[in-house]
Amino acid sequence: MEIQERLDRLSAQMEFLVERQEKREETFDELSPLLREVMAVATGKLDDIEKRGWLKSIAALGEVAARVLDHYTADDVRALGEAIVSILDTVKALTQPEVLAIVGEAGEGLQHADEARPIGLFGMARASRNQDVKKGMAVLMELLRHVGRAAHAVAEKDGAKADRKTRLAATLGPRKKKALGIERTRVPRLPPHEPEKPKTNGHASTVIDGISFTADGHLADASQWTRALAENIATREGVALTAEHWRLVEAARNDFLQNKAAANIRKLTQISGLPTKEIYALFPKAPGRTIAKIAGTPKPVGCI
Amino acid sequence: METATLARPHNGAMVAPHRKVAIICSHGGLDEAYPSLILANAARQSGIECFVFFTFFGLDVITEKKLDHLHVNVAGNPTAPMPTIIAGLPGMEAFAAHMMKKQMEELDLPGVREMLQILDESGAELYACELAMKMFKREKEELIPQVKDVITAGDFYDLAEGAQIIFT
Repeated sequence: MEIQERLDRLSAQMEFLVERQEKREETFDELSPLLREVMAVATGKLDDIEKRGWLKSIAALGEVAARVLDHYTADDVRALGEAIVSILDTVKALTQPEVLAIVGEAGEGLQHADEARPIGLFGMARASRNQDVKKGMAVLMELLRHVGRAAHAVAEKDGAKADRKTRLAATLGPRKKKALGIERTRVPRLPPHEPEKPKTNGHASTVIDGISFTADGHLADASQWTRALAENIATREGVALTAEHWRLVEAARNDFLQNKAAANIRKLTQISGLPTKEIYALFPKAPGRTIAKIAGTPKPVGCI
Repeated sequence: METATLARPHNGAMVAPHRKVAIICSHGGLDEAYPSLILANAARQSGIECFVFFTFFGLDVITEKKLDHLHVNVAGNPTAPMPTIIAGLPGMEAFAAHMMKKQMEELDLPGVREMLQILDESGAELYACELAMKMFKREKEELIPQVKDVITAGDFYDLAEGAQIIFT
């Protein structure tokens, strides 16, 4: 009984399926001319596209995209996005007609690179006489200059970054390192030592009885010199002037009036005829300077 | 004008503390000897007590037979006006020394011998190093008469007591 029922149901289902199949075949028969037409057109189009190489190109582009994805991360792409303006600027600059003309010409030269013969130093010297080569060298130099300047700018920017780092480290305070059991602490920095300078009022530092002297004790105005003044200065320098002393002082004085420059010891030996030893014997302490002070001349210059 | 007013000390006539320098001359090149000699001379001119200690190749500067033929080493000298490959050619040192001497003549700079004479006359003392003398097998008779003595490094320090030491 049960089997009978199930067989009935099965046959009914079969009938339904067969019916549907028949309907489908009918529809297909009706549609097929239409479809055939569509297929023909589509095939034609695809063939055309294929002939033009679009499909291959698209496939190749897909490969390129895959490769790009392999090599660049999302961060890289984001960075690229930030730099897009400068990239576009660069591309724009590089694609100016003048630039392209030059690059094209250069490319032509490279095409014939295999024909070029190797040259040495002399060849280079000879080639540098050519006007085109000269111009090319100038262009390359200019290019180098630009590259160098840009490199400098980049380095400075990096330097500023590093500087910020050190400043930050300084603000965070000195680090105490315990290396090898030795605690190193920072030695406090002493304030820069400034030597006490004698206060000078312009060129003259001291005025004695209306006569001004320079900071190192020479007469400020050489024309004020008198023999009496010389005696006074000599006394202050601890020298008692004798005839021999006077011979040197007068020689120095005359030489100064003639040459407008203070004589050094070597010059003094030449103009006075006295040997070095004698000069040191007469003026034991810094003879050149002492004589210049007494003779009312500026400090002698030079090392000899 | 009174002497009394002038005699009072002012900036220019400051009583300088007693100064003393000890200069060590350890090289025998013409260009290397001059700094020692000029510094010593300038010290004496400034009223500074001074002595020069000649050691190692510096001995040549006070050796009678050598001091007129001191050379300038140009090879391997980065400030030389020629590349080392040229500076290394024979005779180049003599040539450089000749050029330097000419230049110094133009400036009226005394030669080495005259400089030593001036130093001696100005009261600077010249000393030779005993060890270097032994190493170079040099006798005191070979040195110029202005050399006061042949001393050891220890003697040098005794002499340099309270002095500023300059090594050249």
